[in-house]
Amino acid sequence: MIHIPILLIFLPVITSILVYLFKWKHMNIIVLFSQLLLTIMAVIYFGHFYGQFENTHIVLGGWDHRIGISLANDTLSMSFIFLSIFTWWMVLIYEFSFGKTKHTFLFFLIFLQGVFLGLLQSNDLFNLFVFLELTTIIVTILIAYKKHGESFRAAIYYLLLNTSGVLIFLIGIILIYFTFGTINIVYLHETLTTADDTMVVRLSYLFLMAGISVKTALFPVFTWLPKAHGVAQSAISALLSGLIVKGGVYLFFRINFLYDNVGIDYTDFFFVIGALTAIVGVMFAVSQKDIKQILAFHTVSQVGIVMMGISSTDANIFYGGVLHTFNHAFFKSLLFLGAGVIIKVYRTKKVGEIRGVMSTMPVVSIFMIIGMLSITGAPFFNGFISKSIIKYGIQDTTWKYWALYAVNIGTATSFIKMSQIFFGPKTVSYPMKHMAQNITLMSLAFACIVLGNFYIPFTQNFFGIAYDQEFIHIGAFIDYGVTLSLGFLFYRYIISKDYRPIKTLREYKMSFETANYLFIIYLVTMVVYFIWI
Amino acid sequence: MNPILTFVVILIGFYGLSTSDNIIKSVFCVTIIESGVILLFLNLGNFEGGGIPILNDQLVNIVDPLPQALMITTIVIGSTVTALSLMLCIKIFHHYGTVEWAEVLRREDVKS
Repeated sequence: MIHIPILLIFLPVITSILVYLFKWKHMNIIVLFSQLLLTIMAVIYFGHFYGQFENTHIVLGGWDHRIGISLANDTLSMSFIFLSIFTWWMVLIYEFSFGKTKHTFLFFLIFLQGVFLGLLQSNDLFNLFVFLELTTIIVTILIAYKKHGESFRAAIYYLLLNTSGVLIFLIGIILIYFTFGTINIVYLHETLTTADDTMVVRLSYLFLMAGISVKTALFPVFTWLPKAHGVAQSAISALLSGLIVKGGVYLFFRINFLYDNVGIDYTDFFFVIGALTAIVGVMFAVSQKDIKQILAFHTVSQVGIVMMGISSTDANIFYGGVLHTFNHAFFKSLLFLGAGVIIKVYRTKKVGEIRGVMSTMPVVSIFMIIGMLSITGAPFFNGFISKSIIKYGIQDTTWKYWALYAVNIGTATSFIKMSQIFFGPKTVSYPMKHMAQNITLMSLAFACIVLGNFYIPFTQNFFGIAYDQEFIHIGAFIDYGVTLSLGFLFYRYIISKDYRPIKTLREYKMSFETANYLFIIYLVTMVVYFIWI
Repeated sequence: MNPILTFVVILIGFYGLSTSDNIIKSVFCVTIIESGVILLFLNLGNFEGGGIPILNDQLVNIVDPLPQALMITTIVIGSTVTALSLMLCIKIFHHYGTVEWAEVLRREDVKS
């Protein structure tokens, strides 16, 4: 029972190798069977250890527990494990609905699941590094899989920038190892509780955080994300935006738990970084005309909102941010998968050229609208809940409140722009035979609505926090209406006119050298903030 | 070798990353950063006159074996990254006929 985490890592890996080696005709069934097995194991494991997760710590190979490879789980990591298994179900069913899937593609797709589950469960810092780097490598291959020139460029941009970030993460691990003599997170947490707040401890913190910031796509170093998520296949985009980016967010709070007794005040710094990420992401998003680029830039802005939440030390706001990572995973996967269907049928990615989706494929459009309502924060949908929790948490500080409000208006603007695709006459024919696709979209839309209304049992069981505040009242509807109308006005009178600055913003592509330069500046800023002040 | 010197190696790598506009040079720079990190780790784990950490009869005064074990893993990962990125360079060259970041970007705009 206690060794199930190892199986959770190796079952997808073994399945992927089987798929690659034997190239069976009916490998879809084997893949789905292994996925089912994985789900059952995760549920049994969760049920067995529910309430006593401190007993899940295992060290592999009988080595010294301070240096050996170790795995551990808590409710937070379990919730992320369920989220990733669910997302992989969706992506696999969606991919299979298009008929024959290539063996090599499936190999990387399922291998990535094992690696990602390892990242979530790993309890020593070096293994975190190994899994981070493995995710980077496999994701690079998946981005480049379309074999266009554009995807190759996006892939190498992603690979090099993230590798340099992860190497900075490794420097942090080195400093920790030579200061405390252990890399095991559980023991390190005990050691760090009594540790002095020295320069080396702070340096290790900021090196770890700088590495994580690149993986999470925070403000100055987010430039790899839109390109990479925009050019990949739709299923891969959904996976990357919905889940893999959250790997960085997950590490952010793992590392912050580690340092929570040292006394480093990171709240303001990461709130400002998060707000900047959100605003810059939204600014780029409203200027875009490519449907996948819009969604990719919104991933940047939503990660910014998540950072606004999880940078807080107040448990309510913090778990609001964590809840938003889940909500974002659901609605962003839904939007990307739906957009994938639309792009496949219309053979174009331009928002201006797609018209009449509502009359061509009503079912897909309904699910897309649910996704859009969720991301803009409509009452009764999940985006509303987590945004409200963060909003009520930070409303005492005026500039924080208005930063979040500006992001909401920007989000509304770009989705009003995107909603044009629904109107208009029917222009293409769409054969209604993709049942599996609709099931995928329906499950994701269902998850959006369920989390939007019955979030209390979820947060109680996984985060141990109950939000007793009633968020849905008449003010919330007025607030949403005002946001939407401001967004509409903003779209109607500024964005749709396509002024020169908007055009410049749309065509702006950051070169690789500049991105690295910004990364160095970011690192120097962190050194200045955390060590001198 | 002084640990400070390894930081110089890492900084050289970052300097290269933020100035060179050739993709292959960028790949080299990432490799340089990685070598710097590996050197840093091995340096801090080493001391003058330390024996090799291999099980034999004179197991006294040896250096810490853990950094070496970890760095072998890092070297393996690093070689994978280098191989993959060089492969991507070849593919980019086939598609665009150049391996310069700015030129690739320009030709991408022309194509689309």
